[in-house]
Amino acid sequence: MKKRMKKITPVLLAGALLGSVVAGCSNSADGGKEPQIGVAIYKFDDTFMTGVRNSIKTNAEGKANVEIVDSQNSQPTQNDKVDLFITKKTNALLINPVDRTAAGVIIDKAKTADIPVVFLNREPLPDDMKKWDKVYYVGAKAEESGTMSGELIADYWKAHPEADKNKDGVLQYVMLKGEPGHQDAELRTKFSIEAIEAAGIKVEKVAEDTAMWDRVKGQEKMAAFLGANGDKIEAVLANNDDMALGAIEALKAAGYFKGDKFMPVVGVDATAPAIEALQDGTLLGTVLNDANNQGKASVVLATLLAKGEKPTKDNVGFEISDNQYVWIKYKKITKDNIDEAK
Amino acid sequence: MNTKRLQSFASQYAIYIVLVVLIIGITASNPAFLSINSLRDVLIQSSTRTIIALGVAFILITAGTDLSAGRIVGLTAVIAASMLQKAEYAAQFFPDIPQMPYIIPIAIAILAGLFCGLVNGFVVAKLNVPPFIATLGTMVAVYGINSLYVDMEPNNSQPIAGLRDDFKNIGTGAIGEGKFSLPYIVLIAIFVAFIVWVIFNKTKLGKNMYAIGGNIQAAKVSGINVAKYLIYIYAIAGSLYGLAGVLEAARTGGATNNYGNMYELDAIAACVVGGVSTTGGIGTVPGVVVGVLIFTIINYGLTFIGISPYWQLIIKGIIIVAAVAFDMRKYATKK
Repeated sequence: MKKRMKKITPVLLAGALLGSVVAGCSNSADGGKEPQIGVAIYKFDDTFMTGVRNSIKTNAEGKANVEIVDSQNSQPTQNDKVDLFITKKTNALLINPVDRTAAGVIIDKAKTADIPVVFLNREPLPDDMKKWDKVYYVGAKAEESGTMSGELIADYWKAHPEADKNKDGVLQYVMLKGEPGHQDAELRTKFSIEAIEAAGIKVEKVAEDTAMWDRVKGQEKMAAFLGANGDKIEAVLANNDDMALGAIEALKAAGYFKGDKFMPVVGVDATAPAIEALQDGTLLGTVLNDANNQGKASVVLATLLAKGEKPTKDNVGFEISDNQYVWIKYKKITKDNIDEAK
Repeated sequence: MNTKRLQSFASQYAIYIVLVVLIIGITASNPAFLSINSLRDVLIQSSTRTIIALGVAFILITAGTDLSAGRIVGLTAVIAASMLQKAEYAAQFFPDIPQMPYIIPIAIAILAGLFCGLVNGFVVAKLNVPPFIATLGTMVAVYGINSLYVDMEPNNSQPIAGLRDDFKNIGTGAIGEGKFSLPYIVLIAIFVAFIVWVIFNKTKLGKNMYAIGGNIQAAKVSGINVAKYLIYIYAIAGSLYGLAGVLEAARTGGATNNYGNMYELDAIAACVVGGVSTTGGIGTVPGVVVGVLIFTIINYGLTFIGISPYWQLIIKGIIIVAAVAFDMRKYATKK
């Protein structure tokens, strides 16, 4: 009996697939229904992607039927979910890859099934993007966020001569990096420092370590940096807000932000707790990765593709470059323009 | 004879030797490490970890294991944080509940931890599910519950911050000022360690715990109500994770559903390095505390002297295995 089941299973599966293909065809002919969009997010507990996820939900209301799944930070899990969407014959896929190099496989699958794909927030390799013209990418240029956080520090340094605590004309900084090898972590680290140098400021790295995007680790690493270097540190750059806020807690414990003892700290993401810290005057600045517009642009794009329409600047509402890319701009956020991040 | 004595000394005090060697090595590389400030930082960072490791130690000594510790810490951190936000903070988790004395949310969080522990204990003791599987299930499910909680309107999975100063003070405040002040969180950890030491050494529960871990059949035959004591032990461990979660939120001034991720492995590693046997029946409170200190000193000290994070991982891995290998020799020579 068991043996027979084993033989029957693939046949059943194939039958189910075939059935869904047929059902899918009839589905797309039905013009009145909202299109189905399968959305796979790399990880549900990522703060920024949660913002994007909420924006996708809001912007899809009344226009498309979105089914959002968690890939649990595992590419194999995401591929399984994509298979499921394809089996269910959704009209478009909206994928936030776990691993950008895995996009190629997903594009192949989608092309075979003729389901358009929009990638979100993690950019597939250019060669993969060229495989098919119904593949789009919505995201921000990671290097831009690095550049902006560097500029925030550079502006502060120029406006506040007292920031050069040891009066040597060199900016001594520490860097809290995200996950090693993560594209955003590497680019933000590199471009933030380049931006400071481009502003004509000499820099010296006092310490650098990974805090894995994490607030607790940010706090603990910063405590160690302060223990080892004390007042030598003149600025703190963190690849995201959670780590920056952790660092601020460590700085508070070391007596900063009381009286005139100040330390410029910058992060990226403009999360709700970061906005609070801007208001308190502990966080110098952050860079808004525009979750709202990323979610909006991607879901509008996916809905158009699902209905078989050709996306243009007019019907998407965002500029499309190279026929396949929608770039969402970052914004610098400080105490002065805090409202733009709320 | 002399070398033999040296050998037995070395294996008896292996973890203390590792600790001293680590401190000497780090100090040689940067003498500034030997300071009151470093000591304070290390003690503060060890506090919550010690409480979690002591909870895990209870369970390891009964020859069990607990994979759910970290996620329970995450859940209770989130529960405490969600009810302890400042009234004027914009992104309130519960916009409609009044400000209450911080002891109430703390108690709720600890009770939530205790409840998770009760579930673990019940599944292990009454349903006879192996602890590894029972707590694996809890680990996964508790994370799910926590994520649902954090995703509720109007919070929508945002990190929970803007915590009240009186609550944060538990995690960041101290008796006295400046260098020689005593952080509350360290005092709490010392107090918990003392209580756990009393339970281990002076109570019937402690005796029965060692008996169950040493030989469960013998314990049953000698009339110990094994199921009852296992449930007690898991519940105590759960409430310790609850307390640790509360302190983690107070110390960092916030919480997300990813708090506590993998803490159970850190705690188990600290326990085994501190001489708690994974096969049960053996383990002491001072051993666990030293085990935790070793890992905190690795984390803190290696960052202090600027060792690459990759090397930090390699060094940690080697110390875990080496410590247990040494420990095994200790018991082998006894036989």
